[in-house]
Amino acid sequence: MRKRLGDYILAFLIIIMLNFFLPRLMPGDAISALYGDALMEMSPQTEAYLLERYGLDKPLGEQFGLYISNLAQGDLGYSYYFRAPVGQVLVGALPWTLSLIAISLLISALAGIIWGVEAAWRRGRKFDRASLVTIMLLNGVPGFVLGILLLLIFGFYMPWFPISGGASPYMDYSGWEQLWDYLQHLFLPALTLTLVQLPRNFMLMRSSLLAVKEKPYIYTARNKGLRDRMVRYRHAARSALAPVITRLGMSIGLLFTSVLFVEIIFAYPGLGNLFYLALQHHDYPTIHGCLLLITVCVLLFNLLADLLNQKIDPRLRELDARQLLERA
Amino acid sequence: MLEINNLTVSFPVSHNHERAYQHPDQAPQNVQPEASASQLTVLNKVNLSVQTGEIWGIVGESGSGKSTLALTLMGMVGEALQQGSIKFKGQELLENSPRCWEKLRGSAISMVMQQSGEMLTPTLPLIDQIMEPYLKLYPRQKETAQRLGSQLLRRVGLDESYFYRYPHTLSGGEVQRALIAMALITDPELLILDEPVSSLDVRTKSDILNLLTEITAGRTVLVISHDLHTVKRLAHRTAVLYCGAILETGPAADCLQEPAHPYTRALVRAYPTLEGARELQGIRGEFPPLNQRPEGCPFHTRCTQSLDICSWQRPEPVEVGRTSLEHTSPIGNGRRQIACHRAGVLELLRCENVVQRYKLDKKQANSEPGNNYLEAVSGVSLTLREGEVYALVGESGSGKSTLGRILAGVDRPYRGEVFFQQQPLHKMFGAAKKEQSRNLQMLFQNSGEALSHRLNVHELVSEPLQIQKIGDPKSRQKAVRKALEWVNLPVTGHFLHEYPHHLSGGELQRVALARALVLEPKVLIADEPSASLDASVQAKIIKLLLHLQNERGFALILITHELALAAKAGDKVGVMYQGKIVEEGPPAKVLRYPQHWYTKTLTDTDTDRDLLIGDKTIPHPKSAG
Repeated sequence: MRKRLGDYILAFLIIIMLNFFLPRLMPGDAISALYGDALMEMSPQTEAYLLERYGLDKPLGEQFGLYISNLAQGDLGYSYYFRAPVGQVLVGALPWTLSLIAISLLISALAGIIWGVEAAWRRGRKFDRASLVTIMLLNGVPGFVLGILLLLIFGFYMPWFPISGGASPYMDYSGWEQLWDYLQHLFLPALTLTLVQLPRNFMLMRSSLLAVKEKPYIYTARNKGLRDRMVRYRHAARSALAPVITRLGMSIGLLFTSVLFVEIIFAYPGLGNLFYLALQHHDYPTIHGCLLLITVCVLLFNLLADLLNQKIDPRLRELDARQLLERA
Repeated sequence: MLEINNLTVSFPVSHNHERAYQHPDQAPQNVQPEASASQLTVLNKVNLSVQTGEIWGIVGESGSGKSTLALTLMGMVGEALQQGSIKFKGQELLENSPRCWEKLRGSAISMVMQQSGEMLTPTLPLIDQIMEPYLKLYPRQKETAQRLGSQLLRRVGLDESYFYRYPHTLSGGEVQRALIAMALITDPELLILDEPVSSLDVRTKSDILNLLTEITAGRTVLVISHDLHTVKRLAHRTAVLYCGAILETGPAADCLQEPAHPYTRALVRAYPTLEGARELQGIRGEFPPLNQRPEGCPFHTRCTQSLDICSWQRPEPVEVGRTSLEHTSPIGNGRRQIACHRAGVLELLRCENVVQRYKLDKKQANSEPGNNYLEAVSGVSLTLREGEVYALVGESGSGKSTLGRILAGVDRPYRGEVFFQQQPLHKMFGAAKKEQSRNLQMLFQNSGEALSHRLNVHELVSEPLQIQKIGDPKSRQKAVRKALEWVNLPVTGHFLHEYPHHLSGGELQRVALARALVLEPKVLIADEPSASLDASVQAKIIKLLLHLQNERGFALILITHELALAAKAGDKVGVMYQGKIVEEGPPAKVLRYPQHWYTKTLTDTDTDRDLLIGDKTIPHPKSAG
């Protein structure tokens, strides 16, 4: 495990370095990149002033040191579009995205795993075949189309749910009312994200369990007279879980992409929306901050998946989860 | 305790060849209760009755249905069609609902399954898995379960350090021990062990066997194994399964030492032992695949003594009284049953109390007064069964050849009786005599003198056919060529027209052998068949004889003075000394643990051994007292 943690720290360092060096490797100079086309005509004095102000005249090494120390203090720069420090802007958006991701991840994982187990256990029978058809259909619909469809159906034609935002504006709710309002706004985006992730989780769990189902230990378990449900979940599903969880961790990056679309569709005030706005308005410090935060989030979720896996499957304490995935 | 009656289990031919086990829930509910063409019958009318406290060993080749039998008893053959009845303590098991099976499994009947890779769930610590069956029965007694689990684990040799280990850190032997503990935790009334040691290495195997011997004492157990040694070691009684049918049942030691059914004997013969110097013999033919199971007696396609009836009528088990061994199992009676139309391995030749004596002339008689006769053979009894090689060993002058001549019907004994296929040999006349001489051939010691020098090879070999009036000249020629090919002689026209004096000693011996074999006899009595041959030719001829024995079931009495040869070729060795058979038994036993002093001197004077272990003085028995 110590080795694994080392890997993560190394990955984190590389990400920070990339984040620092990439914009400096991009074509064009930093000032025009920072201020975009708005200030095409700039006097040399202004440019020199700006270079000095942003510390761009210093050697690269010193710049990097400065960057790191700023980062350590939580200083990610200043967003001129939102007119606030980038750190502050991100912190405002992060909880929305995180709750969206966490809830959809949890529900899609649970549903996918249980559904996958039940389908695999009844392989080739009606339930399994119906499940496969449903999942295939669901898998065929891209996330943003699904979001728009849900928005139209449940927000527009049948206005059961609010169609935009993370909370009702200008309402002074408190306590349970606020929570209810929050949940109502969360429902459709979370559902969309859940449905987007479900097919993969289902297919993975199903195939993983199909492999485990024929393992001798399942017969041993059945042979000692355990209830079918016990065999199915305690013995089979648990042993089949490792590849699924590994994949879940690895898929977090993809999930952020989906979040981007979903938040834009539902005008949800999270990181995705923020990123979209920042892109539209060439708010480079914010874009930078978003990217950094998202990569760190992905890394953290991966770490979490690894830890969870080792908790569930003792074999992984020595073996790599990916090896197990290949074996399965 | 357990009564299995006419149990037939067949599997539907599935499209996707999934494994046999399926959950009972998934079994098609309304199948036709008759086996159709799309069914593969794995067990065919199996009858077995297990009493409380008995340990039964089920033996058979892989594919014979052993494991299916066990899984049927556990209710784990979900999709299979099961007919007949299994009564466990009076309760009919085949009518059980899946729920009832779940209740029974792991509590009243436990099974240690055949090892095939990951036998334990990788995600749970060992002791949790051991406790599960108990917790299923008594869900609230976690402490008792823990206590029992640790006790049992210790008993099977896994101490505290193992309790919370995960299966992937355990070796095969440790997993096997854990599985045994798991099966025992509910103190089941019936324990089934499916190949308990077959996947283990020799050391672990013997450890586990010791453990099993200790644990199975006093229990009702079904041991399933292709390993005869395991069964011999653990079981009181044994049932031999072939193609889903039980061919022989009886006390384990008897069945596996003196097999009565041809199949059991073939199985025993194919089984390697450390003691055996004898060549291993595979069972002739191939094990029939599931979809080509023969009608009638399932073994008839590979049996050397099958009759017409064997191919269409299924033999019913009948009792046989062959309990030549003194050993009887402590539990259960000594009853033996076999399912064979021919009542087991046939007896071909038997002699009782045969005495042969020659009158001595006066000069010789005087040396020992009052004794005018030399008893060359004095009171020998022996039995030769179908497909058996009886090696008669002894020094020259011990009466071997004389006995051989009597057994072949060449000489008439002074006293005693010889029976060939249950008929008195020396009271045969006419057609019966002719038939007998066709089936009972003798190969004489000095082949050079036994072959007429006036006849060429072809005439020599075809003469017996002429005498027996078998076939026309053309078919005889064919038979001659075949016989010569058997003995590795050329069949060119040139060779066929050679006369005995043109041939070498080895060639002569082989011509004599071809002459004996051309009639395809049932019994051959070969008197020193290889004495005059070099080692290579001797090896070839012995191999040929053993091959014929395996393929055609013919029996051989091999008279030799060479112990090594007797050990290599014989199923049974008889040691002759001064006209008596002083010791008889399986070669390994006779040569390794000789009981009679004479045999001891024989084994000690074995020249090869002298070379190996150096000179050694042999105390003479008489001087030693």
